[in-house]
Amino acid sequence: MMTGEQHPSPPPRDPAARAWPLEQHFDAGSLYALRASAAAHAAAAGLSRQRVYDVTAVVHELAAKAVLHGAGHGRLRMWTQDGYLHCQVSDPGPASRNGTGTPPRTVPWPAEHDHGLWIVAQVTDKSSIDHGPAGTTVTARFALPAAGA
Amino acid sequence: MAADAGAQVTELTDEDHACLTFGEPEELADLTAAFIRDGLAGGLKVMWLSDTSAAGAVAELARRGIDPGPALERGQMTAAACDGRLLSGQAFRARDAAGWLAGQLEASRREGFPGLRVAVDMSWALRPVTGVEELPAFEEGIAAVLAGSTAAVLCQYDREKFDPVTLASVAGFHTRSVAAATYYADPLLRICRQYAPPGIRIAGELDYQAEQPLALAETVRLGGDITVNMTALAFIDARCSLMVADAARTIAAASRRVRLRCPSEVAAAFARLGLAGVPGITVVTDDDR
Repeated sequence: MMTGEQHPSPPPRDPAARAWPLEQHFDAGSLYALRASAAAHAAAAGLSRQRVYDVTAVVHELAAKAVLHGAGHGRLRMWTQDGYLHCQVSDPGPASRNGTGTPPRTVPWPAEHDHGLWIVAQVTDKSSIDHGPAGTTVTARFALPAAGA
Repeated sequence: MAADAGAQVTELTDEDHACLTFGEPEELADLTAAFIRDGLAGGLKVMWLSDTSAAGAVAELARRGIDPGPALERGQMTAAACDGRLLSGQAFRARDAAGWLAGQLEASRREGFPGLRVAVDMSWALRPVTGVEELPAFEEGIAAVLAGSTAAVLCQYDREKFDPVTLASVAGFHTRSVAAATYYADPLLRICRQYAPPGIRIAGELDYQAEQPLALAETVRLGGDITVNMTALAFIDARCSLMVADAARTIAAASRRVRLRCPSEVAAAFARLGLAGVPGITVVTDDDR
């Protein structure tokens, strides 16, 4: 289950890690390619088949939200840091609400509005949302398997 | 007689010489199972010739809710290889193969069956078999045997493996063209009707951009118990998961049973939506089969 945080994850401090392992732009026509990239990077990070699917689903939901309710396009960044796989989706569109916050954690059935964010909250280990004049950035984090596990 | 524009496998009847072109094994197994199921239900003798072992054929039918055991025991059904029937070893002769079929038709009459159904996987013709150039003559011979009979033959061709020239050369000898009713198909997604057990099959990747083609209304309209076969579904997003779950709940609320077959990752998504404990709804993964 996720733990909400008030601010998005900072970029990696290690200068060698400044080159994002994955940085990919997307729009409505490239969500399939985005999912494929996310799945490949999650698998390369050592996540299980189920968690690879979860990462793919989260990246899709965040990107779809940017397409449907944000600018219509956006950018995915993925990297590993401090034992987590970070998936950061940002778009320069208008925020749906002001301020910072976390994805909704309890959405009863039937769930329609913001169901994608509810999924994000359900399957990520940590996540955060930052809304501002420059757009919206959501960072979802998935714990990496312990070394040797 | 040239094949008509297309028929449902459930519409086949006496004298039909049907050409089934399939694109994937699941489609072949589904349509074959429906052909066999309806034949057995009608009291006909049924023969399934393929590369599948008899045990494999039984397992495939059982996976689709059809128990062929009693029919096998009483001789109403046969599941066997093409070798030794339509061809001998690596040799094929159209006249001999058509003669074999005529013999089976006559035998079924003597055994008291009101008719005969034969499903033939034509994949043997892709192997190095002498006489395979007689394939069109064989199809013509089948048409002659079936004329005025109470038999139906379903010839099954893999449209990805048979070249278009071969398919065109045999098509004209069939009276019917059969394929799964396809509601939607593009490079990422295919949604078609499933015949055995009844329902729909969704393969590929399904996201909100395909919610219109999802055609879930079709599952409601079909009536009876429904299977949504998603075993080849690689991805489904939140919105479409909700649509499937909502349709399942609607059907179950009408005292119909809904079976969702899917990969374990997709099953987890349905579990999050609370479907696991809903009366009338069963979520089945490949691991559960």
